Amino acid sequence: MKIAVCIKRVADSETRVKIAADGKSLDEAGVKFILNPYDEFAVEEALQRKEQAGSGEVVVIACGPQSAQETIRTALAMGADRGVLLEAAVPADGLTVARALAAELKDGGYDLILFGKMAIDDYNHQVGPMTAELLGLPCVTSVAHLDLADGKGAAEREVEGGMEEVEFPLPAVLTTDKGLNEPRYPALKGIMAAKKKPLETKPAALGTAGLEILAMTPPPERKAGRIVGEGAAAVPELIKVLREEAKVL
Amino acid sequence: MGEQGVGSGERFVPARHQPPLPLDRLILKPGAEGAGDHMELDVLFVGAGPAGLAGAIALARLAKQDGTELNIGVLEKAEALGEHSLSGAVVNPRALRELFPDLKDADFPFRRPVEKEAVYVLTAGGRIRLPTPPTMQNHGCYVASICEIVRWLGQQAEALGVNVFTGFPAAALLTDGNRVTGVRTAASGLGRDGQPLGSYMAPNDLSAKVTALSEGTRGLLTQAWLEWQQVGSENPQIFALGVKEIWETKRPLDRVIHTLGWPLPRDAFGGSFCYPLESNLIALGIVVGLDYGDAALDIHVLLQQLKGHALFRPYLEGGEMVEWGAKTIPEGGYYALPARRSGDGVVLLGDAAGFVDVPSLKGIHYAIQSGMYAARAMFPALKAGDVSATRLAEYDRLVNASYIASDLHRTRNMRLAFRDGFYSGGLKAGLMTVTGGRFPGGKIVMHQDADAERRVNGAEPFTPDGKLTFSKVDAVFKSGNTTRDTVPSHLVAVPDVPAAVARFYSHVCPAGVYEEVDGQLRINVPNCVDCKATDVLGPRWTPREGGSGPKYKRM
Amino acid sequence: MSHVLAVLEQRDGALRKVSHEVVTGARRLADALGGEVHALVMGRGAVQGADASGRYGADKVITATNAGFGHYAPEGYARATSERAKAGGYGAVVFAASAQGKDLAPRVAAQLGVGLAADVTDVAVDGGKVTVTRPVYAGKALLRVKVNATPAVVSLRPNVFTPVERPKAGTGETVAIAGDAGRVVVKGIKASAGGSLDVAEAPIVVSGGRGLKEPANFKLLEELAQAFGGKAAVGASRAVVDAGWRPHGDQVGQTGKTVSPSLYVAVGISGAIQHLAGMRTAKVIVAINKDKDAPIFKVADYGIVGDLFDVVPKLTAEIKKLHG
Repeated sequence: MKIAVCIKRVADSETRVKIAADGKSLDEAGVKFILNPYDEFAVEEALQRKEQAGSGEVVVIACGPQSAQETIRTALAMGADRGVLLEAAVPADGLTVARALAAELKDGGYDLILFGKMAIDDYNHQVGPMTAELLGLPCVTSVAHLDLADGKGAAEREVEGGMEEVEFPLPAVLTTDKGLNEPRYPALKGIMAAKKKPLETKPAALGTAGLEILAMTPPPERKAGRIVGEGAAAVPELIKVLREEAKVL
Repeated sequence: MGEQGVGSGERFVPARHQPPLPLDRLILKPGAEGAGDHMELDVLFVGAGPAGLAGAIALARLAKQDGTELNIGVLEKAEALGEHSLSGAVVNPRALRELFPDLKDADFPFRRPVEKEAVYVLTAGGRIRLPTPPTMQNHGCYVASICEIVRWLGQQAEALGVNVFTGFPAAALLTDGNRVTGVRTAASGLGRDGQPLGSYMAPNDLSAKVTALSEGTRGLLTQAWLEWQQVGSENPQIFALGVKEIWETKRPLDRVIHTLGWPLPRDAFGGSFCYPLESNLIALGIVVGLDYGDAALDIHVLLQQLKGHALFRPYLEGGEMVEWGAKTIPEGGYYALPARRSGDGVVLLGDAAGFVDVPSLKGIHYAIQSGMYAARAMFPALKAGDVSATRLAEYDRLVNASYIASDLHRTRNMRLAFRDGFYSGGLKAGLMTVTGGRFPGGKIVMHQDADAERRVNGAEPFTPDGKLTFSKVDAVFKSGNTTRDTVPSHLVAVPDVPAAVARFYSHVCPAGVYEEVDGQLRINVPNCVDCKATDVLGPRWTPREGGSGPKYKRM
Repeated sequence: MSHVLAVLEQRDGALRKVSHEVVTGARRLADALGGEVHALVMGRGAVQGADASGRYGADKVITATNAGFGHYAPEGYARATSERAKAGGYGAVVFAASAQGKDLAPRVAAQLGVGLAADVTDVAVDGGKVTVTRPVYAGKALLRVKVNATPAVVSLRPNVFTPVERPKAGTGETVAIAGDAGRVVVKGIKASAGGSLDVAEAPIVVSGGRGLKEPANFKLLEELAQAFGGKAAVGASRAVVDAGWRPHGDQVGQTGKTVSPSLYVAVGISGAIQHLAGMRTAKVIVAINKDKDAPIFKVADYGIVGDLFDVVPKLTAEIKKLHG
């Protein structure tokens, strides 16, 4: 089974966000970068499907700066076979990333193309389905459960109030959600082997699809709160403010 | 009344409540079952700190120059390089210059050169400026973050083909006869009750011709090897606990500051440091020897109190604490060095060997230098196919002939002089400096920290304000610790710890791992930041699964 | 002068409430662009409640039907939406960043050849261009983005654009969409296993700490959660999870979950940083604690200083009355 997994290098979720001098981006000094956690589910799924099929290839593709090579190596250490880096500064625009990925994936003959459902830095949730559109492939997003058989797939994805059941033909593009599987940690041998696996770097010219970052700012300070009263007697007042002021009841 | 019911005003000796080192778990004979994967290396460094990485770099270079291929690995228990490294730090650049002769100081991962410095004796309400003692003069040294140094060294090592494995703690030595043949890593993915979870990964065995133990302070396998091979030292190793914070400040700091005196009690040895990484980013910490007498002494709390002193408060006000951490420091100096730091298939490097000079608060350059000497001894041994103790003793010869040994010898009694208290210690230390170490001549005998008697007292309540001062729970959060809560306990305690001893542990541990609840010892395992204070005075520390513990960024 | 296309959602033939938020956001943009709001809802047939969109500012409500549509058909919906967007020359197309919107909006944007400003918390028009604000890095920073392409495709974060009544004509029309619904077939929705809501998803979270004194007392919080009529989950501070009182899945903060409910009620929780980090993005935080100096009060929007064993039962009783 030939599977491509598109991954992203992101700042660790524990990062204390400091805004860079340009006022538009993250100050990267001292920031730890990791493989996007949702992409781990995608890599794991690809590895499991290839193992089940008995043969095949798992290719990981990242669009990002030179340092994204490390991120690709992490996926190679998990067991992927080879990697491709489309080297570019990561832009604001998901569509331009999708275009670059689609160009790379087009003639690959993949049975499955996997993405994490979203990146934990920008929460954009879009590159996967956009890439599918550009490739003209069926796409299911946020897959939390997956069955594949006879060139067809059945997936479950979380929606408000339940799990949506979806059927689709292969080849297809899927974006993965938490709960799909439990990603493996790279084994020692995997880490060593990763160094020898092929990793190709290609320059990618991304252009723009219309989104322009004007500024990055810290979130507004929470307004100071207040004690509405003491003891059980304060409950009616609390309910009142929650209804009328905060409007959450 | 016996030790069982230790009440207020009573005394106890921590060593009586400590379990012995679990040697049967730490020293594995051939054929020991339990490993999943097996890997073979030429040399394995345990611990990716300055010593291990410098050793790997030096060794890789020697191999490259010789046209030989060496398979070199470095094991690190933290999830990423530097995350378990913590130091002041003011670094002497000489070792890095020797390791990288083609680079200039500006190329090294230092923050800024030390320009101004000041030493004070503090009182609760004031300070007295002292002339800077010669042992503490830092001109020519650099303020640095050990995390940044380690990450930089890691890049150099990987560029030379060294395999750095992060997230893999070493849990036991593999042995054959008297020879160390490698290391077994810790398992991961166990539940609180020790049962394997879905994410279970079995331990790995890494065999190597030479294992270099660069585990840092109070290294577990180092202790195990010394005990197993009965390698002693003239004095036992003693330790201090350092608790440190990094602050982003509104008011700039332009000098390196050291203090003695308040808030340490008279019978406690130590002091504080305050270093500007940038003018508005300062590292501030307190270091206290663990042989103090008051069972209620809490070093984290001392640091919180220190911050309120008129010397420091103006810098911190309006600023933000961005990181917190803690680590022990070996303070025994020259007489606490193991009689030999090499054996069949093994060498001991850096802090694990005790190469720290207390009066100047330096250890990083000794660690790097020791790594280089180890490489210089290992390479010909590997080429000759002889990694026996006799061959590897060359490492000891190199260290003994070097400035590492002569520096430590000069200050050999400095810390020990303070065993009898601050003033008499200060006097002795002064005399030592003036006589270039010749006073008092003979060795001052020290005891293990755990053998020092403690007085049970009530602890003064401490209420953090959440802005300048912080509780241990909040502090641990700032260490970046996100250890999973279901991790099994890695701390080995004796059963039935008396309530007063439990309370003692709760004050010793800066991370709030221990609590005394209804007379019982409660252990909050995930809080542990691997400082090793517990191992020195209380329950024994063993490694958890890789990636557990703190995630220091610039400590 | 540009019109705005608001893409609504239905389920089982009835309009989903988040649609009013979409119309509200679209109305804001349309007013600034000097145009109309055309609301589009797709389905098998008529959608109950679609006509209410006029109340929130829709000038026109278009119901696009196709026998294969069901409650969602990704490819069919995407094609229908982008064809309408192209035909109508809209200045902006607005979706909800709901489960469906997150799936649909990127497809439409790609088909239109323009970028997607996703999951935004504010929209405006600046110099004739749509500008948006969107949280990044888990809400630790905000990005202001200008959309230079036309149409500006935007998806709105749910529960942020509180529906505002701006009555407009809301004239209804129905169009039949030709063609099949696409290769990706939605079979249906399996309701969540009945019972406890997950703390990370519940709109209301009631959390307890050591102040509850013993595990059995968590019953008080379970009763309070039930009083909210199935919308609340019970969370726990790390201290009580460590003590074994509550399961790890309930833990809020510090390797437990990060929750972002509309209402977070912290009962008997002192407010250590690691707990706060888990619930800091809650919309409204209420604290109940008998220690008036507890750090939680510095973070809470509203607090009651008192004995939780008196306050919580009273709160439960009052909430029950509210929900009838």
